[in-house]
Amino acid sequence: MNEDYLLNKRILLVDDEQELLDMVLSILTEFGFQTVKTAKNVKEAIEQAETSRPELAILDIMLLDGNGFDLMKQLKKGSDYPILFLTARGEDDDKFKGFGLGADDYIIKPFLPKELLFRIMAILRRSYKDENPLVYLHDSQIDFSRAEVIKNNEHIPLTAKEFDILSALYRNAGRIVTIDALCEAAWGNNPFGYENSLMAHIRRIREKIERNPSQPVSLVTVKGLGYKLITEGK
Amino acid sequence: MKSISKLIRRFVGIMTLSTLLFSILNVAFFAIVFVKNTTTFSPWDMADSAAAALQFTNYGYSISGDVMTKLKEENAWAFLIDNDTRQVVWQTDNLPDNIPMQYTLSDIAELTRGYVNGYPTFTGAAQNGLLVLGYPKDKFWKHTRASWDYNFIANLPRNAILILAINTILMFLLYAAANTKLLRSIRPIAKGIQDLSGGNPVYIKENGMLSELAEKINKTSEILQKQTEQLRKKENARANWIAGVSHDIRTPLSMIMGYAGQLEHSTQLPAAERKKAAGIVKQSNRMRDLINDLNLASRLEYDMQPLTMKQENAISILRQMVVDFINMDIDDKFPIEWKTVDTLSACYINADKDLLKRAISNLIQNSINHNENGCVIYVSVDDDNNTCKICIEDSGIGASDEQIDKLNNTPHYMVCDTNTAEQRHGLGLLIVKQIIKGHNGKIVIDHSEYGGLKVVLIIPK
Repeated sequence: MNEDYLLNKRILLVDDEQELLDMVLSILTEFGFQTVKTAKNVKEAIEQAETSRPELAILDIMLLDGNGFDLMKQLKKGSDYPILFLTARGEDDDKFKGFGLGADDYIIKPFLPKELLFRIMAILRRSYKDENPLVYLHDSQIDFSRAEVIKNNEHIPLTAKEFDILSALYRNAGRIVTIDALCEAAWGNNPFGYENSLMAHIRRIREKIERNPSQPVSLVTVKGLGYKLITEGK
Repeated sequence: MKSISKLIRRFVGIMTLSTLLFSILNVAFFAIVFVKNTTTFSPWDMADSAAAALQFTNYGYSISGDVMTKLKEENAWAFLIDNDTRQVVWQTDNLPDNIPMQYTLSDIAELTRGYVNGYPTFTGAAQNGLLVLGYPKDKFWKHTRASWDYNFIANLPRNAILILAINTILMFLLYAAANTKLLRSIRPIAKGIQDLSGGNPVYIKENGMLSELAEKINKTSEILQKQTEQLRKKENARANWIAGVSHDIRTPLSMIMGYAGQLEHSTQLPAAERKKAAGIVKQSNRMRDLINDLNLASRLEYDMQPLTMKQENAISILRQMVVDFINMDIDDKFPIEWKTVDTLSACYINADKDLLKRAISNLIQNSINHNENGCVIYVSVDDDNNTCKICIEDSGIGASDEQIDKLNNTPHYMVCDTNTAEQRHGLGLLIVKQIIKGHNGKIVIDHSEYGGLKVVLIIPK
């Protein structure tokens, strides 16, 4: 599936270190992001947010004229968009404080460019659905907007649970998702005891998306651990 | 507090025993003295035997030589008062001059009961008269008017026992009163010492008979509290220092990793230069791990990382960790095999999920770090009655018996005050040990049947 539309999202980057701002800016622009605005302090960040209307903000926690948590609260007042914290403070209490206030993710410095990009893309993918969300598999396509599978020009509807499971797999396409995470996606916070139900649902999903469900190529089992969705072009 | 009542019981015991012992000793002493004085030397007996030894012959009175010798040894003298005339009819040679020669009945009664001119005298019935035996003035003291009420003598045994009983009760009461006072002043001191051993601050009122002791305990408590506080401050300072340094290093290291990461994947650079950039990235990663480990290890060591324990499914945690590593390992150099039996889908333990994840991640990372040429990593969970056994092993280069022994038993230099120059195991394993200790668990390092190293974490349910 083409994710180029995510590169058009406007990003606001706030850090009090000019050199770090420059570096992250270069990582983002080199990756292909079109609009990245930077700010060195709370005041500048609020001004930038008003003029450039960001769709993702990446904030440092310790700023010269305030802190990232307060800045997030102010930014969220204007309009709701995802926030990623980027900080040198690694203690757990900060992490929880950030998430409690509605941060979407948290990266502790130092980080590798690919880690940062992976997190940013994951947040954007979660927050902004593609206008044309057709996911291409080896033998079929999934249309998440209609909750159906298209196989051999036939439209097969997905049940609510199948939709939840496939969504979780798709968000991590190409990566293994554990049995526990899939059960949690489908049945909520207390997923223990649903493993057999999950297997049944996986079998039905395969019947819908695979040409030969007993020899799956798109939804593969990783024995004992979980499942992996392989999309075309990924 | 138990020891105080024990002490009091012992005091009472010792007192009872010593009182009994003294009583027995005294009685025995008096008995011996009494028996000795009455059997070997009784002046009444002497008078009787002298009277019996006095013979009346045609030549007058005579006494046997034996008795006479005995009388002389004692400096005693004797005379005989005739029954009819009440005159002295016989006397020994050493009779003092001031002894009268004529006696009335009342004189005789007087001398029998007491003295003649201050000389203690004793009488014995002789043939035709009364033999009077006299001693030097300082030889005997005589009880001249001895007589007791009959009832007094008749009730003497009962009264003696009664008096003894009253004495004993009085003695115990006095002792109890004295001891209660002592006990009352000991009680706060004992409680203070007990609190001291528990590390609590102690203040005892400095009055009563043990005020000096109370003062010393208060002082000790103050010193202990001060020392604990200083130690805590020192430990906090050390942990904060490590946290501060690791914080300050993060931003510059971000710059290094960021630019090196970009260069590593830059299409404009020749492969050789990209490889150099990859080297920088790799070493920066090591530094990052080191900073994180150092920070967590010091926080765990100085109890600044509280454990948030909850019922967690160990299998679920392990599965997530394994999947995270598989998802990360792009070039497939370190395949991970899940060896948990299919039938086991849950093994609940009381654990801090984040820290347990960190421990497992460290162990898997160790297998990766120590096997540059790649290896297979095997992960399994086993439900063993009351414990959950998490096993992480690899097919890598492994370690010698000596190395394994060191890994199991040598403390890390960070938690050890001796010889820091020696090469020790990394911080990663120290953290695993600290975390497992926090879970009341055990860690066993051994050879793996797959050829490499095996680490088993045994965590109670």
